Amino acid sequence: MPLSIVYYAKEFFRGEWARKFLAAKTAPLVTPTYFRNYPELTGKTCTHHLFCMMACPAPGAIDVVRTPEGWMPRIHVGHCIRCGLCVEACPNGVLRSGRILESMFYDNTKLSFSFRIDVDTERCMGCGNCAVACPVNKLIDSQMSHGGRASTDDLLLKVNEGKCQVLHVEKCTGCKTCEHHCPNEAIHVARLLEAVHAPEDEL
Amino acid sequence: MTVLQSLKNFVRSKSIHVAYVDVGSCNGCDIEVLACLAPRYDIEQYGIFVHNNPREADVLLVIGAYTPGWEGKLEGLWEKIPDPKVAIAIGNCPISGCLFNRPHTLVDPPVAKHIPIAAQVPGCPPRPTEILSAILSVAPTVFKDYEVRK
Repeated sequence: MPLSIVYYAKEFFRGEWARKFLAAKTAPLVTPTYFRNYPELTGKTCTHHLFCMMACPAPGAIDVVRTPEGWMPRIHVGHCIRCGLCVEACPNGVLRSGRILESMFYDNTKLSFSFRIDVDTERCMGCGNCAVACPVNKLIDSQMSHGGRASTDDLLLKVNEGKCQVLHVEKCTGCKTCEHHCPNEAIHVARLLEAVHAPEDEL
Repeated sequence: MTVLQSLKNFVRSKSIHVAYVDVGSCNGCDIEVLACLAPRYDIEQYGIFVHNNPREADVLLVIGAYTPGWEGKLEGLWEKIPDPKVAIAIGNCPISGCLFNRPHTLVDPPVAKHIPIAAQVPGCPPRPTEILSAILSVAPTVFKDYEVRK
């Protein structure tokens, strides 16, 4: 009996026991490496396609800003929901988060954007604001007159016979500038985001 | 007296009592707070106790984007908590409104407009470890200099 009391007392006065008794029992939990955290920059060059901003479901979570080194996506903590869609949508792999880029590489999948422009011919007045404002048109024909009329047919948008006409929808970058400049809400840009398996341009 | 008081404050900072309130979220952050109580994260081994009673709380976890139904009620709840007290915003909603903060919605984020917020844990939802480390990092500052005679 007295021996066991001594035994217990010896056990309790060990420093290791006291530390174990007072401190947290489980090991400190570390964030696993595959955790999809806030997207980080990989160092690749951003080409300002803005697909990350288009794919982002959270308001104000990502924007692309111009820095002395070039365009750079910026994540806003407190808005970002860590869904990783910007990482998948980026055509250049500028962002990195968890294992998203690796799994995209192994599964050979990709998120691809395509754009469709719908012109409501009953509302269109043929003012040509959309065609003049369009930044793609500006690159092709910088001399375009204020009415949206032009001699070339390489344009994305053009006013033909008093109505806006979409000529090359594949040139659209989905910026929606035409939609914002339309006074009559006649033109609408649809951004179609689809997950593609084994994209043909990589085969 | 000061030594005794600082010893009391040290002991108090080792037993933090937590109440949480959801002012209009999607319940995702509530589930993450619940996961802190589960054996995997086991919040009580760090001396943090969840009573969910503002009268005996030190730390208030605010979850959600502040819907109109909480006007006045959250402030009243904050006044019920005895000093010293801090509030921690859990998740994106109390910080920015997250996905709910769109035009023509009635939510009124950030919660910092309505009650003073000491710490923010961003994420949608935040990891339980992030919630845990936020409470643990705020805990020493809650009772710092409390009732210490100058």
